[in-house]
Amino acid sequence: MFLRLALSCVMLAGGLGSAQAASAQAAPATHGAQVASAPQAMTGAQAAPAPQAMTATRAVTGAGAPASAAHAVRAPAPPCSAPYRIDKTLPNGARWQLCWEMRNIEGLTLTKVVYTPKGNRAVTVLRSTALAQIHVPYDSGRPRYHDIGALGYTAIALQSADCPGGERREQFVCVTTRARGHAYLKSDYDGPNTSAQGHDLVVFSAFQVGWYTYLVEWAFSDDGSITPRVGATGSLSGFTTTPEHGWPIGVGARTFETSHNHNIFWRLDFDVAGKADDLVEQYDFSGSGTAKRKLERTAFARETKAVNGPMRWWRVVDQKVRNADGHRVSWEINNADSSEYRGPANEAFTRADVYVSTYRSCERLATINPSPGCAKSVDRYINGERVKDPVVWVNVGYHHVPRDEDGDLMPTHWQGFRVTARDVTAKNPR
Amino acid sequence: MAVAGAGMVTVAGAVLFIPGEQGSQAAGSAPRAVVQGDPLTAQEIARASTIASAGSREHMAAGQVKLLYVERDDDKEADERRRADAYLYDYSADRLIVRTVDLDRGTVVEESVARGVQPPPSKAEEATAAELLLAHPQYGGGVRESYARAGGRQLRSAADLGLRGLIFTPAGERGPARHCGIHRCLRLFVRLPDKTWLDTSRIVVDLSAKKIHTLEW
Ligand SMILES: [Cu+2]
Repeated sequence: MFLRLALSCVMLAGGLGSAQAASAQAAPATHGAQVASAPQAMTGAQAAPAPQAMTATRAVTGAGAPASAAHAVRAPAPPCSAPYRIDKTLPNGARWQLCWEMRNIEGLTLTKVVYTPKGNRAVTVLRSTALAQIHVPYDSGRPRYHDIGALGYTAIALQSADCPGGERREQFVCVTTRARGHAYLKSDYDGPNTSAQGHDLVVFSAFQVGWYTYLVEWAFSDDGSITPRVGATGSLSGFTTTPEHGWPIGVGARTFETSHNHNIFWRLDFDVAGKADDLVEQYDFSGSGTAKRKLERTAFARETKAVNGPMRWWRVVDQKVRNADGHRVSWEINNADSSEYRGPANEAFTRADVYVSTYRSCERLATINPSPGCAKSVDRYINGERVKDPVVWVNVGYHHVPRDEDGDLMPTHWQGFRVTARDVTAKNPR
Repeated sequence: MAVAGAGMVTVAGAVLFIPGEQGSQAAGSAPRAVVQGDPLTAQEIARASTIASAGSREHMAAGQVKLLYVERDDDKEADERRRADAYLYDYSADRLIVRTVDLDRGTVVEESVARGVQPPPSKAEEATAAELLLAHPQYGGGVRESYARAGGRQLRSAADLGLRGLIFTPAGERGPARHCGIHRCLRLFVRLPDKTWLDTSRIVVDLSAKKIHTLEW
């Protein structure tokens, strides 16, 4: 019991950040409804006696439970107000809390993402995440677009049909829930099957960048995983080329629509169980062509560029905070679906699939970074510094070879990657 | 509302929201206090713009420096402060100036200046670029013709066009476009009334030189 308590204190201290000071003060009574959604809220599983410092944050005794008036006064206020607050408890009891902002440059940005598995304590996951670039080089060599202009200005006002079953926030953001198929299924030799359907909290916006519409989406699943992805739809550009760089579109084989890549970069500022003690590790399993495979762990103590490899994955692990089994809490990153575009020397930012940098507020975009006094592209952010607070940049390529079916309107083609909870809970928190 | 308590940020003289064109709080929304993680309100944007522009008033009056936009400063090391980054561009010296305004104190707390750093184009810059395109002896006529064909009416001004700008940086280009990157250059997507986009893939608008460059490949 002592160990567990001590650890949850660490987790809390890390998770609270600057809001901690505020949490001890009185919040306006009108915020009662929002207090229940405070990210620092503790759940019933942690009902053991606590050190004095923690009591103020123990306002909530169950996921989604309304805070009593007495508790409401003592609980910290949420980090953003109602229109920007997303607080969803999915049918299996998993809860996600975050804030959104439509930034001029990056467009939809999600901040202060907190996950509370059913019956477990809340744990911070991401300080912020947003797109960091959409690089679109055409196979004929030209043009080569960097599609993040002021993305916020290009946000499309969503209509209710564009946000099925959901809630639109200030026209541009859709917050909805979606079925994700079987969460699990197991047969029993003489009884009914045990199974459940899983759900995602989905947050998305749509952006009109020239011919293309980009659907920018994060799915937060009830198993603790996060799937960032971008769908490209709208219309093809209509750039024609010679046969070796394109595909014939329309009648006959006279005009060839130019093939191209969409190299999409995400910036993820992980703060796993708070900002402190986060480390990025790479996992490999050596032994190709052999019966045995061996786990190999590489810690990224310094800033690193990494490329994809068979079975390779990464995780952001908090080196101090552990689950009830004593295992370090982490989120795993898997980037297995990329076309792994590698551009010319003057596009060195295309030459790795995952970048790990130490946090700098001025490092915002993966290319054409808009901040003075800071490097211009993600490959330059990686310069051997010790990683005190890791930021992960994920580059996912999709090679778009046009096909007849792309004729207006273009069917959405998706690309993204997976972020999975690894040892956040001691077992499936179903 | 009487108590600006935990997690609330009192923006001096700006607690109540006044509807405006910019900012995330849409016109007509109920007045409320701003919380730290909220987007900037229209009023905060206006206030940050004024404070950040104070140091460049002369150059702004002369049209040499323009305020591009104001973005909430999301530096997590300064998480407890309500801050805004104002992006200003000096076209004659080709310098980007970013001024960080502390909205609680009402002052510029940080300024950084650089050449060759190009934040995304502002809406005003997209309009300026379209005007340059329309003034071009060759392309101007082309845009007007395409517009008339697509819309069945004459183009009155650049405001009739759907515009989207991206920063252009050269990747091995020869010719005058090679100065882009130091010069502030845009690619411009131009949308016509029939929802089609002009093929502007070879056109670069150089806002520093006030010229149109044609890329060759
Ligand atoms: Cu495509």
